[in-house]
Amino acid sequence: MLAEPPRNGEYLIAAYTVTTLILLGYWTRLWRRARGISKERLR
Amino acid sequence: MSYRRASLDQAARIMRRGVRLSAAGLIALAGVYVLALGYTPIEARQGLAQKIFYLHVPAAWSALLAFSLVGLSGGLYLWLQDPRLDRFAAASAEVGVAFSAIMLTTGPIWAKPIWGTWWTWDARLTLTLFLFFLFIGYLALRAAVHDPAERARFSAVVGILGLLLVPFIHLSVYLFRTLHPQPIVLKPSAPSLPPEMLRTLLVSSLVFTLLYVGFVTARYGIALAEETREDEADAG
Repeated sequence: MLAEPPRNGEYLIAAYTVTTLILLGYWTRLWRRARGISKERLR
Repeated sequence: MSYRRASLDQAARIMRRGVRLSAAGLIALAGVYVLALGYTPIEARQGLAQKIFYLHVPAAWSALLAFSLVGLSGGLYLWLQDPRLDRFAAASAEVGVAFSAIMLTTGPIWAKPIWGTWWTWDARLTLTLFLFFLFIGYLALRAAVHDPAERARFSAVVGILGLLLVPFIHLSVYLFRTLHPQPIVLKPSAPSLPPEMLRTLLVSSLVFTLLYVGFVTARYGIALAEETREDEADAG
């Protein structure tokens, strides 16, 4: 009979949270800079 | 229409395309999470922590792709002196740093429950950290040098040095004794993964590549707009 897999879901949650934060954070930074430049272009 | 107006319009089009592409990538990433958490089986020995694999490996792939393209476009810049190549290299370096931040955080989070330690100074991990710092230095160098031609030339050389490190990092698990596992997909024989895991990994790699393309496109457009502004300030 196979043993139960180890319980380590907290590491999974930490890694997925960090990845989401980095990617969303970087996208938001680019979006805000692009929006600033677009606004300036319209002036 | 003035030159400045035309150039800013072009930059805005490129930025918009990049922001939309990367937004599509982020939505697709939610699909990867569903696949990884709901579709792929739980690995018997590593448990849920093994599912970090579906983010760590594609992030590493994207980071190494980004840094390789920085070196290649740097080499081409030294030959052709085309400022578009330098602009692309700068965009790719910044995006590569973001992906390597993911690789260097998810790696230790995965290592802790499996190896029993967050970090070990073996060849693969140390060289990857060195590559990350090299490109942090690349970005600092670009910020410090104000003459565009000089900045492009210096950073092309650093980019080429980074490119030389990439194959060495890939082969380091064969060349040195290391805790890091050997490649299970990018190797001479067939991938050693169950089909569900391989499929999820391939989908995730495609999504990370889409994110790379979107981010670099947006960053390139921003750089083009900023250069137009600088040119105008210099002229006026």
